[in-house]
Amino acid sequence: MTALLSIRDLTVTYRRDGGEVAALKDISLDIAAGERLAVIGESGSGKSTLALAVAGLLPASARVDGKIDWPGLGHTPLGGRDIGFVFQDPSASLDPVMPVGKQIAEVAYTHLGLGWPQAYAKARTLLERVRLPDPDAALHAFPHQLSGGQKQRVAIAAAIAAGPKLLIADEATSALDTIVQAEIVALVRQLVAADGMTLLFISHDIALAAELAERIAVFRYGGLIEIGAARQIVSAPRHAYTSSLLDAHLGLDAEPLSLQAGTPT
Amino acid sequence: MSSPLLSVSGLTKRYRRGVKIIAAVDDVSFHIETGETLALAGPSGSGKSTIARLVLRLVEPDAGRIRFEGEDFLALGGAALRSRRARLQMVFQDPLAAFNPRATVARVLDDPLRVHGIASRQERPRRIAALLERVGLTPDLAPRAIHEISGGQRQRVAIARAIATKPSLIVFDEAVSALDLSVRGQILRLLLDLQREERIAYLFISHDLGVISAIAHRVVILDAGTIAESGNARAVIDAPQSAIGKALVAATPRLNRTRP
Amino acid sequence: MNPLRRFLRVPEARAGVVILAALLAMALSASLFFPGDPQAIAGPALLPPFKDWSLPLGTDRLGRDVLAELFHGARTSLAVGIAAAAAALVIGAIIGTLAGFAGGLIDELLMRTTDAFQTVPSFLLALAFVSVVGPSLGVVVAAIALGAWTGPARVARAEVLSIRERDFVAGARVTGMHPLEIAFREILPNALPPVLALSSVIVAAAILTEAALSFLGLGDPNRVTWGGMIAEGRAVLRTAPFLSIIPGIALVLTVLGVYLAGEGVVETTAVRRSLS
Repeated sequence: MTALLSIRDLTVTYRRDGGEVAALKDISLDIAAGERLAVIGESGSGKSTLALAVAGLLPASARVDGKIDWPGLGHTPLGGRDIGFVFQDPSASLDPVMPVGKQIAEVAYTHLGLGWPQAYAKARTLLERVRLPDPDAALHAFPHQLSGGQKQRVAIAAAIAAGPKLLIADEATSALDTIVQAEIVALVRQLVAADGMTLLFISHDIALAAELAERIAVFRYGGLIEIGAARQIVSAPRHAYTSSLLDAHLGLDAEPLSLQAGTPT
Repeated sequence: MSSPLLSVSGLTKRYRRGVKIIAAVDDVSFHIETGETLALAGPSGSGKSTIARLVLRLVEPDAGRIRFEGEDFLALGGAALRSRRARLQMVFQDPLAAFNPRATVARVLDDPLRVHGIASRQERPRRIAALLERVGLTPDLAPRAIHEISGGQRQRVAIARAIATKPSLIVFDEAVSALDLSVRGQILRLLLDLQREERIAYLFISHDLGVISAIAHRVVILDAGTIAESGNARAVIDAPQSAIGKALVAATPRLNRTRP
Repeated sequence: MNPLRRFLRVPEARAGVVILAALLAMALSASLFFPGDPQAIAGPALLPPFKDWSLPLGTDRLGRDVLAELFHGARTSLAVGIAAAAAALVIGAIIGTLAGFAGGLIDELLMRTTDAFQTVPSFLLALAFVSVVGPSLGVVVAAIALGAWTGPARVARAEVLSIRERDFVAGARVTGMHPLEIAFREILPNALPPVLALSSVIVAAAILTEAALSFLGLGDPNRVTWGGMIAEGRAVLRTAPFLSIIPGIALVLTVLGVYLAGEGVVETTAVRRSLS
């Protein structure tokens, strides 16, 4: 499979309080066209910085060394058209005073060269695709009238409106409850498969990543710890840090901590 | 049989949204024994956080009764309620929002000791150091500002504040869901240690059944403000009876580790 | 970088600070350079400026030293301006905090009182108050504060309304803190920044109100004030315009200095917010 994008020696430094903090150090990895790659890590691991760097959304104050090539695209990507981005907090990424239909239509209008009526028709289809109940009413709804899960569905609709090659979801489900999270993950999986999109799924939840992604990259302190097939990462991690993350996961079968042997504080 | 530490019956809270009146909590009853952990689980909007705030008298219920340590907790007011609060504490989800943005670690821990007259002014620095050590932090953290320390440290300070007044019940409102996995494990172990040593009961609110099965004795599953089912945590999670219980279990991500 | 250095990097702030420092120096050194009564006769009447270097800015109708009056007037203007603004901010912050935190009937009562004060033009209020109670420095300060506290009260209340819903306030209640301590120790300090942002406007307005009261003869008669000097000069405006122009310029510069420094503070805090 050809690589959609290839990251080589990527280092990102932020200036902070006079000093420099490296958020990503010497990252090299390829993302194949059509694959589902999950990037997992704890806070400060640099996983969100990676997402922003790929999407070209880093703040101007960040210094970027290394390069990101797009052999699978053949040209420099344009945010919104070639890359769809879904953020953690849909209330912050949606315009609170614009009907959601218009926010989606705007993407189609800007990137697909559609007229407004066609763009709105497209928005309606998208709202149907992300399975919002009553898409006609939703077109004219404002974000505050929707629930958290519905808002995230709208954000996804806007992200895929221009038919991007790459969909980036940065902790897109971590503000949602378990049931809504499962619905959104199922929706993302289905949309990615139907449109042949590549998925970059950023998460702190290793179990969720393993359910959705084919490959998992583990990040820590701005470095890539290991990358491999999801099954291999979960069943036969090569790195001790990955094992510790797996051990820290509390699944449904979690034994009561009080019964576990050796519980130092 | 002695009466339970906390018993809640018929608890109801309605909110007005536009012209509609919505019951956020509708006729909810449960109890907690001394030294026991009861978990409240449910999707967002199921009323679990509202129940926490009702139990703590941060919000007043429209109906129902709350008995705590053998007293009618809803009948208390003013100074009597404030002094009783020493026995019933809370740890919030976002430890940054739970502290005054201008506070230092020392001030946060000084407040409960001062308000409840637990230690004299001269004695307090020593008590603060002891509290910090009890939750696994070093006493030299005391002069630091709350916004300077890490999220895990903040949540430990929040726990130190909660145990400063020797409570018999602590309410945790999604208190570990914003933490990194490794930190979360440490915090949960700290909570178990404290419970074992001080016989503190926990009302543990979470949407994460994995965490609940690791720490709770019993669980109450809520849906749209009412109790869908309740029982032994292990039993409910292994074989949920209610529709919402089944949905929660089905939605929880699984890590199918086939150990080599 | 510390806040003071950042503050001084804003050009407006630097200009404002220079003006205010000069003014403060004038006010503090008034008794040093011009000991004795500035209202005493120092030379021939209506001496124009720059003629006699022992009286560089000349004399007024009664032969009083204009420069001495200007220095002593700076003292009154600054004292009244700052005292009145401080009083207005303190009263406003307390009333706004109580209204926002208590809610219900207390809120209603306090805010309708605020409305009542706001519907009366503040200058008219000050005028009426001084003419009833009688002019003295304290009364003038009170009169100005009486019309200026409503702005800070409204801003403080709005801030408190949003802050009191935050978790740390719930945390303080769970700790068992007394409501008054929660209001004034936990909430008020966090509600202050936008209230303090009003202070430059209020100080400037207070200085102008004081000048206007003095101009109308309602200032403290035992003190030299710039407003009083302008009023004095009015009678001889055609023959000796400098008597009104000199204190007028002093007044304009003062208000400008206060505004510029206030602007600097706003810029500095805005920069800090965007950084964090």
